[in-house]
Amino acid sequence: MMNKKYGILFAVLVFSALIAGCVQPPEGEVKEIKIGIVAPLTGGASTTGTDMWQSAVLAAEEINARGGVNVSGVDMQITLVKGDTETSREGGVKAVTKLITEDKVDLLIGGFSSGITYADQVVASEHKVPFIITGASSPIITRRTDIDTSYFFHHCPTTDDYPEATLLFVNDVVKPMIYERFNFSADRPLRLGVLYQDSKYGEGVYEGIKKAIEKHNLGIEIVSAEKFKMSETDFRTALTVIKESKPDVVYPAAFLNEQTLIVAQGRKDVGLDTIYLSVECNDDPDYYTGVERWGEYSIQESRFSPYAIPSGPIHDAVGKFKEDFKNKWGTSPSMMGASTYEGVYVAAEAIKNAGTLDKEKVRASLAELAMPQIIEVMQNGVITFSPDYRESKFELYMEQLRWDETAGETRPEIVWPESIKETDFVLPDWYESGSS
Amino acid sequence: MDLSVLLQILVWGLYAGCIYILLAIGLNLIFGVMKVVNFAHGELLMLGAYAAFWIYTLSGINPYLIIALAMILLGIIGVFIERLCFRPIMGTGKLNEIFLSLGLIYLFQNLAALLWTTGSRSIHSPYSDVSVSIGSIRLPLDYIIIIVFTILFLIAFQLFMKRTTLGRAMRATSQNREAAALMGIHVERMDMLSFALGSALAAAAGSLWLISGQIANPYMGSIPAIKAFAVIIIGGLGSIPGAIVAGLTLGIAENVLPLFIQSFVGLFGVSMSFTAWKDTIAFFILIIVLVIRPTGIFGEKGE
Repeated sequence: MMNKKYGILFAVLVFSALIAGCVQPPEGEVKEIKIGIVAPLTGGASTTGTDMWQSAVLAAEEINARGGVNVSGVDMQITLVKGDTETSREGGVKAVTKLITEDKVDLLIGGFSSGITYADQVVASEHKVPFIITGASSPIITRRTDIDTSYFFHHCPTTDDYPEATLLFVNDVVKPMIYERFNFSADRPLRLGVLYQDSKYGEGVYEGIKKAIEKHNLGIEIVSAEKFKMSETDFRTALTVIKESKPDVVYPAAFLNEQTLIVAQGRKDVGLDTIYLSVECNDDPDYYTGVERWGEYSIQESRFSPYAIPSGPIHDAVGKFKEDFKNKWGTSPSMMGASTYEGVYVAAEAIKNAGTLDKEKVRASLAELAMPQIIEVMQNGVITFSPDYRESKFELYMEQLRWDETAGETRPEIVWPESIKETDFVLPDWYESGSS
Repeated sequence: MDLSVLLQILVWGLYAGCIYILLAIGLNLIFGVMKVVNFAHGELLMLGAYAAFWIYTLSGINPYLIIALAMILLGIIGVFIERLCFRPIMGTGKLNEIFLSLGLIYLFQNLAALLWTTGSRSIHSPYSDVSVSIGSIRLPLDYIIIIVFTILFLIAFQLFMKRTTLGRAMRATSQNREAAALMGIHVERMDMLSFALGSALAAAAGSLWLISGQIANPYMGSIPAIKAFAVIIIGGLGSIPGAIVAGLTLGIAENVLPLFIQSFVGLFGVSMSFTAWKDTIAFFILIIVLVIRPTGIFGEKGE
């Protein structure tokens, strides 16, 4: 009887070992690359987060359809794992911790909002997991010194980049036109009003404005700088104060909902009929719907627009991405989606070059990466990370909003730089300059 | 500071005060009659704004005409909330009421995000291009309408509360629930009515908020609700005149005081923006009032 029992037990063990041998790949052979997408899939920024996720899925499907990523002769498929930050710092830390410790991802992509990324990147740094950041704009993300930032790669323009490009445009194009119309003397500095969000992002843009003026010795004077709390909805008092300072141009550093209200309240309620500048994150279909006619002739800095495609080598790729995205998800992709889409390609290229999923080697591969631009115009046409702070550099462009009768909304037209512009900047008739 | 700038900012404060008053009176009414603190009152404002948006989008009629419809709709929703959520737990402890209303915040916010996404919705007022200029002060017509609407509404509300049987019954329930019941007043019906009326007032605030050029999204109710709580505590819990005075005070103070502080520190050569301190100022006033008069400006002991 005992022998029969031991016989059955032995048979079960042998069978189990055989089964295990059949389903487990040989040691060291991995068939998939696990990438964690860190994005706000719920909460206040869930629209952006969903867009980031959908764009990443599109990129992963395209790569997988072409056979996956060739890692030292083995074709690996990309598997994406959701990491929902819930639009909060705590949620971000929770999501990144889960992706690293439970899902055991090889790499992270995403990270919308500098405040959230500032909190959750600590976890990625502790575990030394490469993180391609495609949605947080504060330069501090790769420059802070309290953690090891060598695993972070910033693939979106920073708050230093936006104001630099925007103010160069203002200085080169807007200022001469204002001065010509109002007969201002050339030595009069252009009067700039700033209205910025009281956050790392807003303060970053404000600091970037000051740096850009100083760096390029621009003839621009900040005549007022007012702050507002994140998610504020009433800007009338701040705009009234700015109007009193008689600015020639107003530069809000705000998120979409805030920017929409700033422009509408500024023109409609306060009567501040000026040229409003806008940071790139607002180049979104919701902005064009929300700002209505009040946004006409305002300036939108951008790198990926829902309604404009820069001419040049990436023109067709952008069109295809937009079409594929619409076919798959039924909506238009946003800017954060575009950089996240590229982030998946960047990760695939870096892993292919590294020839391994070893995180340190992938990090080193990202640091040395140089690949052709994909759907956003890069400086010199190449995606590469700067050796100092691992930031990729974008070729930013300026759009001016024009009324489109067919759409019943404004639509952007590229007015700068010269190499890709569609039309010339127009100073509207209703424009009122600051004091002489 | 230029006097015209100050007067212009007073107008913005007056407008903000009107919205706070409408929201706070509804909150006060519910608290007065039911003794329930509804933390989800801001979400009723949000639902009211969405109701106005959808009625406007589907019908295309003048947005001011749809306020009444939005109020009726939210009044009905208010009845359901009272019957299904608050009535079963009445008298089971304040903690239950607090957590129930906190739960309703998440429920309504997520429901709105699910149904209508987190994208922003707006209404185009037919008068958005029209403004009246008095000297250098600019008065957009929409704001004048909102201020007049609020004044008329407050008069109608006072008449209802003081001159009608229903209004008197609600006041009686608010003053002494047991005595009111002994006098034959159906106090549970008064609970239902106060919740419906409070919700309708929140809808009025939300609709006017949207018509004035603001945007609706699932999370828009949080800040106004906090302000409304500050208003009813400053004015005195359960006091309608208190809510009116405190609403106006708060609306004007949070717009004007940052500039005074800015000018004051400017005298010492400090250049600093205080416009982001609006909420801080609101709660600073709240603390001062509570320290000097813990029952609020018009509050009575024991409330």
